Amino acid sequence: MTDQHEVGPGSDVSGPTSWSIHLNDVSVTYPNGTTALRNVSLDIPAGEMVSIVGLSGSGKSTLIRVMNGLVPVTTGTVAVGPHEVTHLRGRQLRQLRGHIGMIFQGFNLAERTSVFRNVMVGRFADTPTYRTLLGVSSERDRDLVFAGLDSVGMLDKVWTRASDLSGGQKQRVAIARALAQGPSVMLADEPVASLDPPTAHSVMNDLRHINGERGLTVLVNLHLIDLAQQYTTRMIGLRAGEIVFDGPAAEATESNFEHIYGRPIKSNDKLAN
Amino acid sequence: MTVDEKAAPLGVSIPAPPSRLGQTAAAVVVGAVLLASAADLDIDWGEVWSIPGQIQRYGRLMFTDPDWERLPRALFETWRSISMAWLGAILCVVLSIPLGMLAAHGVGPTWLRLTLRAVFAVIRAVPEVIIALLLLTVTGFTPFTGMLALGIAGIGTQAKWVYEAVESIDDGAPEAVVAAGGAIAELARWALWPAVAPALTSFALYRFEINIRTSAVLGLIGAGGIGSMLTNYTNFRQWNTVGMLLVVVITATMIIDATSGRIRRRIMEGAKQ
Amino acid sequence: MTDTAPTVWELPPKPTNRARIALIIGAIATFTTLTCLPAIGGVELDFASLVDNWRNGARLGREFIQPDLSFLPRTYRPMLETLQMAVVGAGVAAVLSVPLTLWAARQTNPRLATRQPVRFTINVVRAVPDLVYATVLVAVIGVGPLPGLITLILFDIGIVVKLVSEAIDAGEHPYMEAGMAAGGTQVQVNRGVVLAQSWPFFTNQWLYVLELNVRISAILGVVGAGGIGRLISERRAFFAYDDVGAIVFEILVVVIVIELFSNLVRRRLT
Ligand SMILES: Nc1ncnc2c1ncn2[C@@H]1O[C@H](COP(=O)(O)OP(=O)(O)O)[C@@H](O)[C@H]1O
Ligand SMILES: [Mg+2]
Repeated sequence: MTDQHEVGPGSDVSGPTSWSIHLNDVSVTYPNGTTALRNVSLDIPAGEMVSIVGLSGSGKSTLIRVMNGLVPVTTGTVAVGPHEVTHLRGRQLRQLRGHIGMIFQGFNLAERTSVFRNVMVGRFADTPTYRTLLGVSSERDRDLVFAGLDSVGMLDKVWTRASDLSGGQKQRVAIARALAQGPSVMLADEPVASLDPPTAHSVMNDLRHINGERGLTVLVNLHLIDLAQQYTTRMIGLRAGEIVFDGPAAEATESNFEHIYGRPIKSNDKLAN
Repeated sequence: MTVDEKAAPLGVSIPAPPSRLGQTAAAVVVGAVLLASAADLDIDWGEVWSIPGQIQRYGRLMFTDPDWERLPRALFETWRSISMAWLGAILCVVLSIPLGMLAAHGVGPTWLRLTLRAVFAVIRAVPEVIIALLLLTVTGFTPFTGMLALGIAGIGTQAKWVYEAVESIDDGAPEAVVAAGGAIAELARWALWPAVAPALTSFALYRFEINIRTSAVLGLIGAGGIGSMLTNYTNFRQWNTVGMLLVVVITATMIIDATSGRIRRRIMEGAKQ
Repeated sequence: MTDTAPTVWELPPKPTNRARIALIIGAIATFTTLTCLPAIGGVELDFASLVDNWRNGARLGREFIQPDLSFLPRTYRPMLETLQMAVVGAGVAAVLSVPLTLWAARQTNPRLATRQPVRFTINVVRAVPDLVYATVLVAVIGVGPLPGLITLILFDIGIVVKLVSEAIDAGEHPYMEAGMAAGGTQVQVNRGVVLAQSWPFFTNQWLYVLELNVRISAILGVVGAGGIGRLISERRAFFAYDDVGAIVFEILVVVIVIELFSNLVRRRLT
């Protein structure tokens, strides 16, 4: 399933506002002593489409996860939209996360249950816990789920078991799950690393449309340099937890990439080779 | 499947949810059987609410002032139960390993395999207590009876584990021995044994853990050990002694579980490397 | 052929675990010896009694395997009670096991402070053998199926919670990270997706404890906790081993039928 389709503007239900992101001198050291980010400062205006490139282990996933508080910072501050992430706990943190959509390399779907139930996960932040416990969803939540699926062209699969989908379909369901949140920011951690090239392009297209037509801020981790150049406007290069490049993606040169990667560029650093 | 043309807010049609008739029917049947069974049981359900209070009252009788004076006797009986369990486990394992191997696919002849498996199934279905009741007439109300009962009653499951373990090993090693002209005994010694030894050792310890619990049960019908002591003092309604005995049973079982479990994990981890 | 000098292989030092093996064998031998010492509570290995009295057993065994099937009609009502206890016990335990399991697994309850008490309680509950529960409960609340039922529920909960929570912890659950990232509470994630994902573990263990319940509740009556076991101890007291044989035969049939049934359900569910 690699058909190209449009993410329709009509599917914009909640009219999300787009948020900017500011990192100030952020460092992250994991409990086992690994330092994954070193003094990272970053300003991303609302509505930008940004790629983060770097070798495996350079800290891309960590960088994305400090933005929704999945990984707490060791020092420094993170602000997303009007919120200071580092200060939020419990309910407030969950509310913030509700405004930040996230998609993953492994799709992170519950394979044994339906697409519908998986996308309903995107409504958690706005659903009282007792409602989830009883397993009853509101009319509005259901509409948002259908709208999210519709905008990635997966509405006809709404009752299918997630395990019966192809990789590309799974990633679109994951995008629908994020869209059902009505997010202001979209984070994507290597969203196409498990997909074949045509499917990878169609998923990147979905992300571009989300950025273009909804005006959402989109951050996407990539380890393939041609995808970064083709789909994003700004590129951030990470190496050993430090930002070593930050500029327009289209203008990045071979030597910029060699600097980011710390080695000559190989053919498998690109999708099309 | 029919498509219910339910109008979504976006003017797209949402597929009708799949029929859950089968699931609903199954749930109704299960629920009905449960309720009918509960209603037919000779239980005054109104009385159930008083049980927590009862248990609390008796719990207080048992545990506020446990009778530590009889602890030496309790430890003696505990050792008796442990001995029954240990020797029973040895007997069970020694019998099950050859029998189980013979019952595995590709080892013994078919008629033998089917006969043995039928015997195992029958032993599995007969409660240990029944086997013990039969043995009583030969060996009397002694721990020796308990040990024999544990040894025999466990064969059903233990031998099943053995043949399942043998059948789950790769075909390569047995084939090599058969190719080199080996007989059944050689096959067992040089191909089957090395491959299944860690699993079988682990199962043997597990049998010991199971026997620890069952030996207390056999004590209740007079085979001696902590179970017998517990029945006696329960019949005398000497609650503070019962409380002490329960503390001893629980502590001993938990210590043995933890120790045996740790050894089992080490064996299985060693086997993986 | 002329004699050549024997090749001197330069072998790496052979790993010597002989000392360890000797230690292990020694420990096992010592332990086994201690379990055979009647003076400290060990088992007196009385093989002589086997030789002396095997005829008793053989005679009984013969009666036993020639069950008096005309006795069966009297067993139906207690057997039904046994089955009802098994079903209701498994059903109640199934309902209670769900929240307790999610509470006891590390991945569905990362907070040590609330997880550890549940796990400890479950381990204590599991450490008490089934008939011990039954004996004490019969003494506390009186003869009848109720103490048997409570016994089965406690026993089943111990098994299901332990096995399923271990299965959950052994697996990977990337969808949980997605749920947290979407702003869900742990409870929402557990109820919304983990439960659906772990359903096969649960149903498998529920069926397993149903099978176990039939086997256990058949003997609970021996201590007065309801079901067909009462009849077993009654007939045995009259030395009517042919009747006991008929009951055991019946138990066997019922246990095998239940096993076949649950295998069928398992296959439908996967
Ligand atoms: N949960 C964790 N605990 C400890 N170390 C981690 C953890 N997650 C990542 N790391 C380490 O942090 C560094 C950066 O990892 P990550 O952010 O996943 O990089 P990338 O996504 O670019 O591959 C790596 O050295 C990795 O081993
Ligand atoms: Mg990563």
